[in-house]
Amino acid sequence: MDLLADVSNQQNSEPGSQISHLALDIGGSLIKLVYFSRNNVSRRDDDEQKSRKESLGVLQSDTSQPVLEGRLHFAKFETSKINDCLDFIHSKKLRLGGFRDHAAASSDKIFIKATGGGAYKFADLFKEKLEISLDKEDEMNCLVTGANFLLKAVHQEAFTYLDGQKEFVQIDHNDLYPYLLVNIGSGVSMIKVDGDGKFERVSGTNLGGGTFWGLGRLLTKCKNFDELLELSHQGNNRVIDMLVGDIYGGTDYAKVGLSATTIASSFGKAISDNKELEEYKPEDISRSLLRMISNNIGQISYLNALRFGLKRIFFAGFFIRGHAYTMDTISVAVHFWSKGEAKAMFLRHEGFLGALGAFMSYEKQSLDGLMVHKIMQRFPISVSSAGDKIYCSLNSDWNLNDDSIQCSVYGT
Amino acid sequence: MAGLSGDQVLEIDDKLEDIQNNINKNGNCDSNLTNREVIDKAGLVVRGEENSNNNNQGGEREMAPPASNSIHRSGSRPQLDLSKAAIQGSSEERDPTILLPNQSDDISHLALDIGGSLIKLVYFSRHEDRSIDDKRKKTVQERLGISNGNRRSYPILGGRLHFVKFETSKLNECLDFISSKQLHRGGIDSHHWNSEAPANENAVIKATGGGAYKFADLFKERLGVSIDKEDEMDCLVAGANFLLKAIRHEAFTHMEGHKEFVQIDHNDLFPYLLVNIGSGVSMIKVDGDGKFQRVSGTNVGGGTYWGLGRLLTKCKSFDELLELSQRGDNRTIDMLVGDIYGGMDYSKIGLSASTIASSFGKAISDKKELEDYRPEDISLSLLRMISYNIGQISYLNALRFGLKRIFFGGFFIRGHAYTMDTISFAVHFWSQGEAQAMFLRHEGFLGALGAFMSYEKHGLDDLMVHHLVERFPMGAPYTGGEIHGPPLGDLNEKISWMEKFVLKGTEITAPVPMAPPGTTGLGGFEVPSSKGGTLRSDASALNVGVLHLVPTLEVFPLLANPKMYEPNTIDLSDHSELEYWFTVLSEHMPDLVEKAVASEGGTDDAKRRGDAFARAFSAHLARLMEEPAAYGKLGLANLLELREECLREFQFLDAYRSIKQRENEASLAVLPDLLMELDCMDEEARLLTLIEGVLAANIFDWGSRACVDLYHEGTIIEIYRMSRNKMQRPWRVDDFDLFKERMLGSEGKKPQPHKRALLFVDNSGADVVLGMLPLARELLRCGTEVVLVANSLPALNDVTAMELPDIVAEAAKHCDILRRAAEAGGLLVDAMNNTLDGSKENASSVPLMVVENGCGSPCIDLRQVSSELAAAAKDADLIILEGMGRALHTNFNARFKCEALKLAMVKNQRLAEKLIKGKIYDCVCRYEPAN
Repeated sequence: MDLLADVSNQQNSEPGSQISHLALDIGGSLIKLVYFSRNNVSRRDDDEQKSRKESLGVLQSDTSQPVLEGRLHFAKFETSKINDCLDFIHSKKLRLGGFRDHAAASSDKIFIKATGGGAYKFADLFKEKLEISLDKEDEMNCLVTGANFLLKAVHQEAFTYLDGQKEFVQIDHNDLYPYLLVNIGSGVSMIKVDGDGKFERVSGTNLGGGTFWGLGRLLTKCKNFDELLELSHQGNNRVIDMLVGDIYGGTDYAKVGLSATTIASSFGKAISDNKELEEYKPEDISRSLLRMISNNIGQISYLNALRFGLKRIFFAGFFIRGHAYTMDTISVAVHFWSKGEAKAMFLRHEGFLGALGAFMSYEKQSLDGLMVHKIMQRFPISVSSAGDKIYCSLNSDWNLNDDSIQCSVYGT
Repeated sequence: MAGLSGDQVLEIDDKLEDIQNNINKNGNCDSNLTNREVIDKAGLVVRGEENSNNNNQGGEREMAPPASNSIHRSGSRPQLDLSKAAIQGSSEERDPTILLPNQSDDISHLALDIGGSLIKLVYFSRHEDRSIDDKRKKTVQERLGISNGNRRSYPILGGRLHFVKFETSKLNECLDFISSKQLHRGGIDSHHWNSEAPANENAVIKATGGGAYKFADLFKERLGVSIDKEDEMDCLVAGANFLLKAIRHEAFTHMEGHKEFVQIDHNDLFPYLLVNIGSGVSMIKVDGDGKFQRVSGTNVGGGTYWGLGRLLTKCKSFDELLELSQRGDNRTIDMLVGDIYGGMDYSKIGLSASTIASSFGKAISDKKELEDYRPEDISLSLLRMISYNIGQISYLNALRFGLKRIFFGGFFIRGHAYTMDTISFAVHFWSQGEAQAMFLRHEGFLGALGAFMSYEKHGLDDLMVHHLVERFPMGAPYTGGEIHGPPLGDLNEKISWMEKFVLKGTEITAPVPMAPPGTTGLGGFEVPSSKGGTLRSDASALNVGVLHLVPTLEVFPLLANPKMYEPNTIDLSDHSELEYWFTVLSEHMPDLVEKAVASEGGTDDAKRRGDAFARAFSAHLARLMEEPAAYGKLGLANLLELREECLREFQFLDAYRSIKQRENEASLAVLPDLLMELDCMDEEARLLTLIEGVLAANIFDWGSRACVDLYHEGTIIEIYRMSRNKMQRPWRVDDFDLFKERMLGSEGKKPQPHKRALLFVDNSGADVVLGMLPLARELLRCGTEVVLVANSLPALNDVTAMELPDIVAEAAKHCDILRRAAEAGGLLVDAMNNTLDGSKENASSVPLMVVENGCGSPCIDLRQVSSELAAAAKDADLIILEGMGRALHTNFNARFKCEALKLAMVKNQRLAEKLIKGKIYDCVCRYEPAN
């Protein structure tokens, strides 16, 4: 385990690094990229080959010996700016992270693993612009594989967030399953995960990130998602939401356990006010919207967890974006409806589950025959700040540097 | 039988009867009574239906002497204004009508639900339905073992529950309405039980809803009443429980534009989930009366729809926004699965390409601004987002508590088809078809009803499904379920209103056949395929009628399986069937109007009423054509009854009066010959001839177009003989041999005669005189008691229980068997005194009796029959149903605990084909042994 010493801190853009295993998750609003940049590997080549051959015979390889050292990189683009993404892939020569089809060895056809609806939609574009064929992986499969990987392999991946307090949760690998994975993209999928490759989409909702951003754009004229999210931070939802107190003259409806500040009806005050849209502050609208959607997702998730007797609910997907208030609202909703019995948990790499899952799917047919069974994070918290960062969480009081993970790959 | 609750609520009765006694004694009561504080405004002519039981007075007086019951009155309770009271018509009439021109509508309770946008009123008016009530009836009742026919025997109060809505912004109209009907005087005053002070000073009205606080002062100021605020959720649950228990087809499902009523066994009602969608959404688990818990809710509710909708579309009202959604296409703004997957399904997890992946998700990537989207699309997208979400959360909660049923109510729904479809779809989708969303016909009135129930003595506690009859008086097609305009007072106002309505050019001519109701095609939240025209929001909102509480109604005790019993044979949910019968009724209308007008002397007034009736009934038909479920579950029996009710509403009390009389006379004239002919036959030939006679005489039916045409061609007796001669066995349905064996036995073994037979008679004239009476006579001859069961109120040319005794008396003049039996049964008024004097000389003869069936329709729903009939049924072991209405349209498939014989001639080609694969004038003789 002293192999840490071997890890170089070279950037992926440096000539010495070798790109392998690019995988994409092309969603309705965002494209997520995961790729692996290998460190100097010449020394390991023989070992690698050897271990691979051995693995084909008796399983006797030394699993404590990493076969690869390098970095997993994470990048995001807006789907509407897919050309930027294509340029990025081109300029970084990420294309080499694909594989060639053995059956058609003569051809130059390169396949890249991809998931998300856009893997279908933009297949032709990739073909045309980059001469890459997208090898489509099932979205849900990728999501779960990605989550399972993160929860098992990455230290301090999951955390709770309540009242502004983030708390990492150490999850016993043997007690991970079953759990509920709530992926909040444009829409929301709720997946019951029972093990590696064992899962079922049990529910979902059409009130998701797309609703927040879509309605928000119409209501506030914000130019991007993050701007909208940022606005919510300064907003006051009481201006526009009808609270229990508004109905009961400032008092609680104690009989049914509703406090005066409980939202009775999101946007309910817009009914009676004679105000026009322009008269409401975008901040307040954004806040209302965020609470409406977060609350709803939290509630439906809890009800589904309850239904299947799941102890843990992990929330992931781009809607969350490490945004404190979003996580807080979801947590409060789960806490409220479960009367404190269930806790919402979040993942540090929430946006990249699908892309990671697609990445993991190289396992079976990888070009260089790499038997990736395990990737271990080498450094608890990566401090790398690569230049491929597209977004940063502007308002996060704690910034997750999730751009890359230093890791080692072990063969079996 | 008199229960405690009965005594409590019936105090008013005593007062009424005292007053009536006084009227009778004095002829004019003006001088005796002082209760003038009541009402002179409305000036309504109430034909004193609640006072028509004055024949009871003899008995009443014995039981409760006037002197002892003039105390213990609630001062706040309204009392009759008897000024200018007069007995109408000859005082020798059996049922003189007392006119109380200055009395307000009735005596009432009122409860309110004052919401943010609508005020809902529920009020109760005392109203005993007219019934035959005389010495003869008393004798029958004694004979049948009904101890006391007066209404004290019933645990609940007879009357009517009215449902009315006003817009909250037009509160003044609501106050005027209450004031004009004096509804607020019916509120219970808990402080002034013996007070001489003006009654309404401290009157209290039960109310719920936010406005109950807000407008309390206004009510005090304008009406002098205090508002007693009831908890909203309590009211909601109480209202829902009442409706689900008391109204047979209150709940319905709504899938793809199709409504289906669900009959809920009230023993198996609890627990259920009640989802009330107001500004926010409350989800309440209901475990029983007053036992409930708010288990969940969501802040994404009606307020969110309207609030967001207002900001996004600039709509001025909720209804406008809802209306917009009808023409919307949410695909322009929602991100669908297909948008993400390049038009393909994500079939692996069962999501079709048209599934909404993300509401408003397309607004993300588009460069369009808010102004670039159609408000229609925004409204629909919003509507589906919210409905779907509510459906999903509701289902998850139902699942969590193991609740089978989810009822949705609240203003967000408003009978709006898309909303109901979307919610239903969500529940169906997530439960994989295992759970069903249900809606309530009276959904807007849950709170108001609940507030009403919170009166300590509302008298509805013991109400059962069979005690309730819902009627849709004129105005129902337009205002029922809608917001009421000014209150319609007397008949004249109604007629003028009808006329005005027509002048406005609103289409209420004869029903226009429409395309079958379209489907909203929500196969995966797809965009509804049907647009505006076929699924109008105002069309799909259901009408709310007036609930008549008739405590004397009971379930017919001889039904083999009352829970499974369905009166209607023809299912009108088949659109072509519906269209056919609508056409039949429309075509029959001119003839009916002509008869009706003639029956009232053909005066100008009668003509005017006739026109108004025609318009009103056409409007009913048009409304039902548009939305067959508008008045609840629709069967042919309901349609036919609706017509009779509509006639009565315009005061055509008996359109066929003179025709019936003429035919009775003609038939009675030939009866002696027929009886003589019969008496010459042997037993076997006679039985066959009798059954043939019943079938042949059934041809006289003014409800059948084909038969009406026949009548122009000959005299009654000619047609009768022709008809009988044409009887060729085997009939289309022919169980005669079975019946004969039961009656006469086989191989010389004489069977035991029936103890008592109930003969449900049909038409007047030949049908009853030459058909059923001779059959009754034969049964009497065998030693079987015979009870002739006839309509309480006229319907077409059907004979009524009022008319039958006279017919029997006339027939008895020619026949000893009938005479002795009629005497024994108390049908002969002259002879009756002897009977009452204790003479038992007739005890040896089996009696012939007449009872009313409790209805005024050509059909009969055996779930709601008169208590007399129910009592008469107790010892009966044979039922004979005669005629199309009672044996074919209804009850053709009914099964009984005792033997049943169903006899009818099919006088309608389509029915003949459908029911017995036969043709017009085919006969049905169906005999069914005891079940």
